[in-house]
Amino acid sequence: MGLTWRLALRNLMRNKRRTFLTAMIISLSLTALILTDAFIEGMSDAMVRSATRLYSGDAQIHHRDYLAQREESLAIDPDPFLEKLTQETDVSGYAPRVLAFGMISSAANNRAIQVSGIDPDREATVSKLRGAIRDGNYLDSDGPRTQILIGSRLADLLEVELGDRIVVSVNNQDTQGAEQQLFRVSGIFHFNARALDENTAFVLLPRLQEMMGLGESVHEIAFNFEEANQATQTDRPIWSRLSTDTAVAQGWTELMPQLATMLQLSNSSTLIAAVILFILAGLGVINGMFMSIYERTYEFGVLLAIGTRRTSIFRLILAEGLVLAVGAITIGAILGVVVTATMAAVGIDYGNMEISGVSIAEVIRPEYHINQYTVLPVWVLIMTLIACVYPAVHAARIVPAHALHKSL
Amino acid sequence: MNPVIETRQASRHYGEGDTLVKALDEVSLQIQPGEFTAIVGPSGSGKSTLLQLVGGLDIPSEGSIHLSGKAISQMSGRELSDFRRDHIGFIFQAYNLIPVLTAAENCEYIMLLQGIAEKERRERVRAMLERVGLGGKENRRPNQLSGGQQQRVAVARAMVSQPDIILADEPTANLDSQTGADLLDMMHELNRKEGMTFVFSTHDPMIMERATRLVHLRDGRIEQEEHRA
Ligand SMILES: Nc1ncnc2c1ncn2[C@@H]1O[C@H](COP(=O)(O)OP(=O)(O)OP(=O)(O)O)[C@@H](O)[C@H]1O
Ligand SMILES: [Mg+2]
Repeated sequence: MGLTWRLALRNLMRNKRRTFLTAMIISLSLTALILTDAFIEGMSDAMVRSATRLYSGDAQIHHRDYLAQREESLAIDPDPFLEKLTQETDVSGYAPRVLAFGMISSAANNRAIQVSGIDPDREATVSKLRGAIRDGNYLDSDGPRTQILIGSRLADLLEVELGDRIVVSVNNQDTQGAEQQLFRVSGIFHFNARALDENTAFVLLPRLQEMMGLGESVHEIAFNFEEANQATQTDRPIWSRLSTDTAVAQGWTELMPQLATMLQLSNSSTLIAAVILFILAGLGVINGMFMSIYERTYEFGVLLAIGTRRTSIFRLILAEGLVLAVGAITIGAILGVVVTATMAAVGIDYGNMEISGVSIAEVIRPEYHINQYTVLPVWVLIMTLIACVYPAVHAARIVPAHALHKSL
Repeated sequence: MNPVIETRQASRHYGEGDTLVKALDEVSLQIQPGEFTAIVGPSGSGKSTLLQLVGGLDIPSEGSIHLSGKAISQMSGRELSDFRRDHIGFIFQAYNLIPVLTAAENCEYIMLLQGIAEKERRERVRAMLERVGLGGKENRRPNQLSGGQQQRVAVARAMVSQPDIILADEPTANLDSQTGADLLDMMHELNRKEGMTFVFSTHDPMIMERATRLVHLRDGRIEQEEHRA
């Protein structure tokens, strides 16, 4: 081991308490950064999952004007798209949907909701509807035409239970009049997401197509990718393959731009928190290093007097900072793993909180990410070394004649 | 013979105006190789200031200092630093040693800076510590040594890099008289047998007795000089 490293290591061991405390400032900064990042990561993923995998899907195909106008006549023929989707290897599932804005009435109450017509088997490959059934059964393609699934909150509002009759009315495109039909509650679902649980109902696709006079057309084809992040890559050729003159395929970042913006914002808030943390930790490190240098002023005077170059003193202080940082970062990273694992085991339940229109339907768990143990430690290391430069320059500029004044 | 060190009308002033202190006032002094010189004088007479100037730790306000024939005012900071490393040995009153290094490592330190090979370093350190009576205590840290032993390590460190001259500022001031006498004997022997040049500042009558040359300072000026056989 070189002289500089040997001296650095031993000097750090001289005042173990101070070294420990300074190291803890560095360690805990790293742990805090790791945890913040893990938490933001977990929350972002939970929000995206809630926004996409719960019901909407990673991506959707609509008539080009549908989303802007919400005009029920703007439907598309699903067959060419479904055929293409079967051939896309990155697509894990797809589901055609008919969407109607209608009224639902029970003996007790009525309410304006969105009624969706779905293909139960296809729908199960995209959304979590089947798994969200709390009472009764999921839709059965071969079952009665009067099946309807309603959300738990909607059931409460309508004061209905399984088997109760309800009336749904929607607009018919052919007659331009209201079309009413009787349904029996066959299942009650609970997504733990207010908007869905309160304002949606699901019936069989052909049934709703018939009521709306749409023929074979649908309003939406939702699909999921094998890897969730494929949906955010807007330059993939799949988007143009699945788009035509009249229809367009879009990922969730385009469908829910406010969510995408919100996630970017939370990244920049991590950055701001990191900068503030770095400034505080940096000041702590500067303070610790200065205390240790002041105590050794005489010693540096001796070292300089007997021929040590100023650059060597500078290097020595940086070496002390480096050894300190490496030790502290190791501890910080281990703490990061432990705290992240603990928090992940416990989880944080926001219980139905809505952030920019997205209900987080699950318990949030901080998530590991490779950056937390590569990029963040490097940042902390750089921060520590920068903090050491000022004390190191100070030590290197000690005037031996002054430092030694008491003796020589 | 060329002097190891020469000061030519060297002055060192602190402060200015009314508070100006002439710590050293036009001192001209030559130190010849092999001398065992003691600089004596009352407290505040400028002994330490003179040693700092001749050791290249401080720059004279006026006049010049020549180390082995070279003016220090013409050396860069790094050159001066390397000059001290290679040509001057320092012994201070106390706390000479690096507390985190062992006796042997303290001695080895300057040779490490000089880039001397490990084998030679080890050999010279071993022999030198033996010479100052610390054989077997090589691996002790300074706080495991007595004050006298620490000063012996400081002498060994100054000697082992084979400088032209050793400057010692009151090396015995922190020691009891017997320990001081032993240390002095040792340095005297190094002077006689190895021809090492020593310059002391001191209040210690024992050193004055042994010195081959006495330089009396008063108020920053050389008041009197005595040469002895
Ligand atoms: N850094 C400084 N700033 C101002 N004055 C100083 C400084 N260093 C020394 N002096 C003054 O210079 C004069 C000579 O000081 P110096 O330390 O050389 O004396 P000394 O002979 O070594 O005394 P002592 O025997 O007490 O060690 C004193 O008056 C002292 O106060
Ligand atoms: Mg003095």
